[in-house]
Amino acid sequence: MTTADLWVAFPLILLAVGALLTLLLGAVTRDDTAATIIGVAVTLGAACWLLQTPPAPLAPTLGLSAARLPRLFGVFFALLAAGVLGLSSGYNRERGISGEEYPATVLFATFGMLALASATNLLTLFLGLEAMSFGFYILVAIDLKRATSGETGLKYLLPGALSTAFLAFGIALLYCASGTLSLQEAVPLSVTSGRPDLIALAGWGCLLAGIAFKLSLAPTHLWTPDVYQGAPAPVVAFLSGGSKAGAILLLLMLLPATADATLLRVPLWGLALLSMLVGNLAALRQNRVRRLMAYSSIAQMGYVVVALLSGKSGGYQAAAFYALAYGVISLAAFGAISVIEREGVGETLDDYRGLGRTKPFASGVLALAMFALAGIPPTAGFTGKFLIFASAVRSGEIVLAIVGILLAALSVFYYLRVVVTLYCKNSDTAESSQPSIPEYLVLLIASAAIILFGLWPDSLILLLSDLLQ
Amino acid sequence: MIPVPFLTLLLFLPLAGSLLLLAMTRRESLARITALTIALAETLLACSAWFCQGSTTPQAAPPGFFLFLDRPWIETLGIRYTLGMDGISLLLVILTAFVTTIALLVSWRSIKERVALHFLLILAMESGIIGVFLSLDLFLFYLFWELMLIPMFFLIGIWGHDRNIYSAVKFFLYTMIGSLLMLLAIIGIYLIHGQQSGVYSFGLSELIGTNFSTATGLWLYGAFLLAFAVKFPLVPLHTWLPDAHTDAPTAGSVILAGLLLKTGAYGLIRFGYPLFPEAARTLTPLLIGLAVAGILYASWIAFAQKDMKRLVAYSSVGHMGFVALGIGAWTPVALSGSLLQMINHGLTTTALFAMVGMLDEQAHTRQIEDYGGLWSKIPIYSAFFVLFAMASAGLPGLNNFVGEFLILTGSFKVAQLATVLAFIGVILPLVYTVRLIQEVLFQEERRPLSMTDLSLREILILTFLALADIVIGMHPAPLLEVLKVPVALLTGGAP
Repeated sequence: MTTADLWVAFPLILLAVGALLTLLLGAVTRDDTAATIIGVAVTLGAACWLLQTPPAPLAPTLGLSAARLPRLFGVFFALLAAGVLGLSSGYNRERGISGEEYPATVLFATFGMLALASATNLLTLFLGLEAMSFGFYILVAIDLKRATSGETGLKYLLPGALSTAFLAFGIALLYCASGTLSLQEAVPLSVTSGRPDLIALAGWGCLLAGIAFKLSLAPTHLWTPDVYQGAPAPVVAFLSGGSKAGAILLLLMLLPATADATLLRVPLWGLALLSMLVGNLAALRQNRVRRLMAYSSIAQMGYVVVALLSGKSGGYQAAAFYALAYGVISLAAFGAISVIEREGVGETLDDYRGLGRTKPFASGVLALAMFALAGIPPTAGFTGKFLIFASAVRSGEIVLAIVGILLAALSVFYYLRVVVTLYCKNSDTAESSQPSIPEYLVLLIASAAIILFGLWPDSLILLLSDLLQ
Repeated sequence: MIPVPFLTLLLFLPLAGSLLLLAMTRRESLARITALTIALAETLLACSAWFCQGSTTPQAAPPGFFLFLDRPWIETLGIRYTLGMDGISLLLVILTAFVTTIALLVSWRSIKERVALHFLLILAMESGIIGVFLSLDLFLFYLFWELMLIPMFFLIGIWGHDRNIYSAVKFFLYTMIGSLLMLLAIIGIYLIHGQQSGVYSFGLSELIGTNFSTATGLWLYGAFLLAFAVKFPLVPLHTWLPDAHTDAPTAGSVILAGLLLKTGAYGLIRFGYPLFPEAARTLTPLLIGLAVAGILYASWIAFAQKDMKRLVAYSSVGHMGFVALGIGAWTPVALSGSLLQMINHGLTTTALFAMVGMLDEQAHTRQIEDYGGLWSKIPIYSAFFVLFAMASAGLPGLNNFVGEFLILTGSFKVAQLATVLAFIGVILPLVYTVRLIQEVLFQEERRPLSMTDLSLREILILTFLALADIVIGMHPAPLLEVLKVPVALLTGGAP
């Protein structure tokens, strides 16, 4: 291993060592604060490291790359993890989730995301994906004191394991068809060599099925509402923001390399349409905020697939932009939900009545997130939707664009329901305590990012289109 | 000439003020005074723009615009921060600043809960509306177009009465569906223009003159027309309006009727017709037909209303039908009439909604059948009421008459049958207005309501509005002079 290799692998090592250190710390002290602080320091350190320009962009022996796109997403994952850790401390204390395994698992999942982002061959990619998924299997069920926790964990683990099997099999088939594990060579050869190679095509089918599960695209979305409902709120923020951005990044790495994606158009088209329909229509009838957010996320991922379909005409940038924007919005929304729930508010919309008065800060952030998800300017959600629809129209996906925009108009209804409940109905609860300082910071930064990327998206769009040429 | 950031200042002063109010949520009287100060400053600023006319045209400004500001914004997408003010924008911006001030004064005492938030939303909305009237970039326009909805949604949802949440959501959904389709159409123009010229831009002056195939033009214009028709509102897309008006707090009704309805007409004049001249001409019979249908239908329905706010709301639909008729005719006279009528309707309806609000504040009912005999009990109020009701009904010498007269004169050559039918629409408002005056002011007292006459604040509000009504009614020439150049440019004649 050369120093250049070490440079590329350093953030991964940092995260893994950080995770182990936090675990060891548990033997010395029972104070969770120390573990959380170490976790935040490690993620921020990894983010800072990734911001530098590497001496060499590739570490071929390790199957890792330090190109700009993986580093951009790496920074995003690390910051998201730091935000999640910041949110968790208060929430976990209230819920009685204690122990150093929580921050350690968050770090380990971040390690997985980063490995996934920087993979250059299918094996590293799979390892990263697995590391991330394992982290989430644990995190989703980490609230041991709640009766539903085990159920939630199982509902995520079983379909998750199935989807992993699909992914592994897909990778094996691609390897079988192309004889190489390199991401650049295994993927394009298969679909574009004259008439479609059936083995490669089957491999792609398995890959898509596995990724669709991670993105919770209809019809593989059934786990989403239950997991969103049962997992701790900061974990849902991480899952919704991080794991989905990871899956989108995966598609962004694979799809442009296929060179000719016409064969994949039909399944992607169907996934996009079905997800937008199922997500938006089902969300209309939800009475629990978290389930509503789950269906909303299904719909939002449908929009991302619309962008991926129109990749060559700016869709890849749009998808990447939306992945990042959605991550930040998720962090804000579930951060606000975590602050609200921490203070003993229930899960149904009825419990959220009049919170705009008693919890002005958290409600304000939640309302902003709702407006962003509904695609109302000047938020990052609007800019993202705008880019998506512009790319869809440009590439001639008019049907998807029109259906998507009509469903987006419909979606305004259920997002507004949340805002209405927060502000326009009266509650009988008394004034309650303020959010803690880390919660304040995380939510404030996330909200600022939502507005800033809505008003001045120029540099990010420019960067993304530069990276995804 | 005033230095360039004038338009930016004009646009963002209310928004900055509303951010300032965020810090005053616990100090109600301070919040009131700050909000009023900001609104008055904005009014002064808007009026000072009047004196910029006739000075040298700024560089790169499209013809007719005497104030212009063009800065890069999101360059990768060809989105620019382009603001411009011509005669049309000038009058509408002054109207916006004026009506917003009135709206603040009207809710001075009647709002008792979350005062700072209420005033903050009104100011934020002012920025949104002014943004709509100043933007010359389609993306920027769309941004403000959406932005002005959010404060109104909260105004109705938080401070409204009866079925306020239903009405707020209905209002929001109606407008959102229209405007999202318009967004798709905006993207469509942007791409078609980009493919034709190689320059991707959202600037209005670049996009004017883009060639569309007939079908594409019709689809794109149709999406624009839908968005604007909802705002207008044209029959049959008007059903959100009576609900929103009835359930909104007084300030909400005032801004909704006085300002928000004008944005639809403005959008059609500034963007719809210039961008798609051919498609607009093809669909003119539809626009005129809906306009006339609106005039007759709304007047008919207004006659049957028992709630005063609903009655005024339906009269708004009727009056905006006249505006639509004038736009459909697209002759210089009719178009000036439409623009003047937008101002007139803004002033008169603002006054009527404010007055109904004043009654409601005291007696807590808006049902016509609960009142009667007010003339002897509160004479000052009654006198103002008669004045504004008559102005609304189009009494010669008052402002609405001038606008309606110009619209009808200008439209007759183009659409004779429609104009003749619209003439009937001039008479109908008289019928329901006289009925309203008779029942509320002159009939026997039906319920023993203890009423006190207007306070000094209320007299002040109404005096300003009455003066504006009378002055425009007697001497509309200065306003028409301001409109002359932009109208001539729009209708294709030499200025």
